[in-house]
Amino acid sequence: MAFNLPVDTAKGKIREVVLGSGDKSRKVGGENILPFHTWEGEMPNRPLLAAEVLDEPGELVPALEKALGEVKGDPVTWAKKAQDEWGVDAIALFLTSTDPKGTDAPADAAAETVAKVAEAVNIPVIVYGTEDLEKDAEVMKAVATRVEGMNVVLGPAKEENHKTIGAAAIGYKQDVAAMTPIDVNLAKQLNILLTNLGMEADRLIIDPTTGALGYGLEYTYSVMERLKIAALYQDDSMTQMPLLANIGQQAWKTKEAKSSEDEYPEWGDPEKRGIMWEALTATSLLMAGADLLILRHPESIRLMKKLIADLS
Amino acid sequence: MEDGRVRILFLPENRYITVDRGENLLKAAMLADVHVNASCGGAGSCGKCRVVVEKGEVEREPNPKLSEAEAAQGFALACRTRVLSDLEVRIPLESRIGDKRFFERAEPQPAVGHLLSADEWEKRLPAWEPDPPVRKVHLKLNPPTLDDNTADAERVKRGLAVQEGIRDVVIDYRALQRLPNLLRQSGWDITVTLINTEEERRVVRVEQGDTTGRQSAIAIDVGTTTISAELLDLKSGEVLARASDYNAQVAFGEDVITRIIYATKGTGLAKLQSVVTGTIWNLIVSLVEKSGVEYGDITHLVVAGNTTMTHLLLELNPRYIREEPYIPSATFFPWTKASELGLRIAPGVYLYPIPCVASYVGGDITAGILASGVFNTDKLTLYIDIGTNGEMVLGNREWLLACSCSAGPAFEGGGVKHGMRATRGAIEQVRIDKFNYEPMIITVENHKPVGICGSGLIDALAELFLAGVINEKGKFERDLPTDRVRVTENGAEYVLVRAEDSATRRDIVITEVDIDNLMRAKAAVYAGIEILLSSMDMEVGMVEELLMAGAFGRYLEIDKAVTIGLLPDIGYDRIKFVGNGSLLGAHLAALSRGMLSRTQDIARQMTYLELSKNPDFMEKYVSALFFPHTDLDAFPRVREELERIRSERKLYSEGGG
Repeated sequence: MAFNLPVDTAKGKIREVVLGSGDKSRKVGGENILPFHTWEGEMPNRPLLAAEVLDEPGELVPALEKALGEVKGDPVTWAKKAQDEWGVDAIALFLTSTDPKGTDAPADAAAETVAKVAEAVNIPVIVYGTEDLEKDAEVMKAVATRVEGMNVVLGPAKEENHKTIGAAAIGYKQDVAAMTPIDVNLAKQLNILLTNLGMEADRLIIDPTTGALGYGLEYTYSVMERLKIAALYQDDSMTQMPLLANIGQQAWKTKEAKSSEDEYPEWGDPEKRGIMWEALTATSLLMAGADLLILRHPESIRLMKKLIADLS
Repeated sequence: MEDGRVRILFLPENRYITVDRGENLLKAAMLADVHVNASCGGAGSCGKCRVVVEKGEVEREPNPKLSEAEAAQGFALACRTRVLSDLEVRIPLESRIGDKRFFERAEPQPAVGHLLSADEWEKRLPAWEPDPPVRKVHLKLNPPTLDDNTADAERVKRGLAVQEGIRDVVIDYRALQRLPNLLRQSGWDITVTLINTEEERRVVRVEQGDTTGRQSAIAIDVGTTTISAELLDLKSGEVLARASDYNAQVAFGEDVITRIIYATKGTGLAKLQSVVTGTIWNLIVSLVEKSGVEYGDITHLVVAGNTTMTHLLLELNPRYIREEPYIPSATFFPWTKASELGLRIAPGVYLYPIPCVASYVGGDITAGILASGVFNTDKLTLYIDIGTNGEMVLGNREWLLACSCSAGPAFEGGGVKHGMRATRGAIEQVRIDKFNYEPMIITVENHKPVGICGSGLIDALAELFLAGVINEKGKFERDLPTDRVRVTENGAEYVLVRAEDSATRRDIVITEVDIDNLMRAKAAVYAGIEILLSSMDMEVGMVEELLMAGAFGRYLEIDKAVTIGLLPDIGYDRIKFVGNGSLLGAHLAALSRGMLSRTQDIARQMTYLELSKNPDFMEKYVSALFFPHTDLDAFPRVREELERIRSERKLYSEGGG
């Protein structure tokens, strides 16, 4: 007798969110299955991979410096390289220059950078601030205005600044990534606050906060899994947004990814080690239900592309 | 008009309400859910609650804010006006809310209350006769002779057996000492008082002649904050007098934990015992004075208190209640001589503490379950008592499951900037206009506002939320067109009463910090409710009746408590107040030995669920840290109300603003 996989059909479905506009748009979400359970239902869009681009990267570990080369100094060419050579689905532009603890670049200048990047590439753009509540609100307002109609993702909107960022997104028709500290209920609550504000639920993405391998990965894993189960099996409409995993930043700041071979000769080649740290974090979160992965190193992007293709 | 009730029609709302003749007009407007601006709480000092009496008779109290000419035109200050007949009252523009369009369309609709009526009480309890657990028996004994030379004590016991069928009696040592002389002085005509329960038949007092016509008992609710007592006539079952006062132990800590800590230090336990006895003694003196009964007529006391209060009253060491695994000294207590506790009422007066269930579910809950008839119903019932701790019981005649969560003192006014208990001048009802954000408040005894009590806080929270002044997280919208919301260095706040209208001559405000504390308290209660239900594999919707007890039970408005998500949204008609269930349970046990033995059955029957060990509690708690709740589907009526208000506001801003 042939073996039949047991089928557990879900009641609910993840919302399909459109990133970008016109020819540059991509869709994320839309599945009614747990990650890669393709025998149980539909996954119209495979998980998307976004390359992390920093407008002011500062010093990076040698593995990343080597991979980026000259483009490191210019977010536009960096984004184009990611699109053309690495084959990503989206650009995640982090406006690190706006950090009030650092350069504290004005909001308008940052918005200008966003516009340049968004015009130069033909894939969608996700714009993240520095998680400074007030500055992010100011910057995202400027960004929303500057790239009106381009349907970028503004983030991260948190409970404290969701009103400003949400209002800007509503006014200038952008998407929002809503970030909460690793808690199913808090994620849901922020989605309710944003939709009460007038935000369309189909323009929201959940950023449940990412912990890298060894640094809280299990918490993120559990929250993503529970959000996905609530969305699919309890048909809970306020958890049905696609999930974003902000991996690059978290994986590459771990001791294991950034220590040199001199410090820990027994850990082996630091380049391979860093890439594996990022790729393993990403693999785990794909299994947890991430719909949109932000990665740093081209090699981890390549590995994840292959993995997603094999599993889809 | 019938039975002293009158009907008031409010215009232009076109809403009517039936109230008692003599009711205050502002109170009536509040009951009818009709908005009248009122910022002094009904003290008659702000002059904002002007209404026009178009038809019917009222009694106006003279007030400088209302001239005689205005009164002649029909004007009245609602808070200073008593209703004498059926009325038609028009709320003029300046006293009204911003938009009238919505109300002119509305059909007249009655506003209904939810307090449990006396008839309903009757139906809830099984049939019972007044048959007190401490009984007086009049005996005429044959004097002893050389042939009948039985000893005095055995002669009394024989009399009880022959006349009343009461056997296996013991006689208290003190009563025994008095017996020989008393029997002979009385000519063998005596009245014996005995504890007459299933476990124990003990003669506690012997008197000359027939005193069976005079017997009273006292029922006492020993609360952490308030102690209430009733003097009962055991012949008629009537309440002869009532009294209540703060538990003087409050000076040693506001909650049970700080009292336990105090009790475990030095002579703290003895101190707390004597202090609570002091409060009870004063209440007894006041009851006796009010009713005119003799101290000697009182035969027993029945006391219901939470586990810690019962321990402190009996001077039992409460220390291990607080330490894991939270073990009380006892949950069942013996009949105890009142004089040994320092209550020297009369010889042979005994006190019975209603049994407790566990460290944090006490005799007050056992008594409440008795009084509210939860043990006698087929309906799935949820009984909630909210004080410093929130205790909850789920069940029916077949099973009872209880838990306790530390809600904190927020609903009693603790941890809230201008919080207070429900005493004179406490704001107990609040409405906030959904268009101009102006408040309408009523205070206890219509005194100038001093602070806000529990029910006022619940009202305020619900109204701030419905008016869109605070969001689901309890955070203020800071850009509303009103100066009532202002930002200080400690966050935002809403000015409920301006300094010139308050008794304290300073603004009475509700701050974001207050709202956080109340949010946590309500979330703890609701999470407790969810855990109780989920541990029985049940859902909120299966609860057929919700009974709410507690100090603020009398004033609390159910729909407001549901709006903020303190109580589940199971339909307002399924939720009822029981008032002071603890006192009523003690009252029943004092009147009936059957009821008293039921308290033991209830305490034994109840299963206690320890929340501190429950892995789901935190999850449910975070989910409840939201108005009304993260899961809005569980609050369909609140959702409907919110949608209605939001569309009204939208229409209003499009139409007029």
